[in-house]
Amino acid sequence: MIPSDHFVRFYNEVFKFLDEKNGLEKYYLEISRHQEMHCYDCFMKKGLQGMEEYWGHIRVEENCILDSGIEGRVRYTHMKRCPSLTKVLDNDAGACEKYCIHCPGWVIPLMTKCGFYYIKYQHAMDVPECFGACSEYREEIEKIRDEAKRQGFKYIFSNLDEFETVEKNRACRISLQQKEEKNDPK
Amino acid sequence: MLRYQEDNELHLDFHGTTNTTLNYIADNYGVDALKGILRKTGREVYKSIHEKLLKGDASELLEHLNWFYFREKGKYQLTVEENRIVLEVFECPAIRHLRKLGLEPSAHVCLQTSEVNAGMCENSPWHSEVRVIGEGHCIQTFMKDA
Repeated sequence: MIPSDHFVRFYNEVFKFLDEKNGLEKYYLEISRHQEMHCYDCFMKKGLQGMEEYWGHIRVEENCILDSGIEGRVRYTHMKRCPSLTKVLDNDAGACEKYCIHCPGWVIPLMTKCGFYYIKYQHAMDVPECFGACSEYREEIEKIRDEAKRQGFKYIFSNLDEFETVEKNRACRISLQQKEEKNDPK
Repeated sequence: MLRYQEDNELHLDFHGTTNTTLNYIADNYGVDALKGILRKTGREVYKSIHEKLLKGDASELLEHLNWFYFREKGKYQLTVEENRIVLEVFECPAIRHLRKLGLEPSAHVCLQTSEVNAGMCENSPWHSEVRVIGEGHCIQTFMKDA
């Protein structure tokens, strides 16, 4: 058994292997599909509040030092010390230089599928700090992206370029929510 | 002394991601590639254990096995003799959690034990072997050359 405590160091070895084969993107999609088991229903039914619930539980179990919350139409996060990258840096095998990309790698396809815009941005790949935001409103995430660019963030990941798919999935989600409300009026 | 000794909260769902990853690598790159990654993990992530084993010293290996199976509430028995260590796991915490998540354990799930153990022992006087008795039940043996 690889202890769950050491999963990320194994994950890091998998990334090194896949990076050499140019196979990271396809693997992220597989992880994203796996994560649907934990997140999809929750995000589809509860939206930003569901994300707060899911990552609230992760914050505790993964020992994150993190600020997050919902402000208006946006859920934001400020990861002050990412436990995952921190462990990978504290690792005799050394860190895969693309380690951080796994996070948007699985989150973005899931957010797109649930009809949300998402952005993650950070200054460096070897510093365990990053920022993120999510909203069903394109203009909110565009505003954050523009500000991140203005502030000189070097790494910015988002699904803003997939807006047609996001909008289509957003409409499906809203329609599903309306149907559920109709069937179960509270 | 352990090189890695986490003692805070546990995120057991990582066993699910490990399971998905074992299948993904085996299906897309073959079982030998998967074994290679796991052996490298044993050798390089657990470099500190590996380097001690190269010198014949199994002290950190013992601490590692005991700490992490204890921490994940495994049911196990560790028997230590001068040149032989036997860890019998009666209920593997990883497989128990996969079942709790409703996931089918990968056909390669036990390679994470056998190959990581083999990686830690590589080129050392210690050798490892894993005998699977049934689901979640295995006997891991480490033997030192006389």
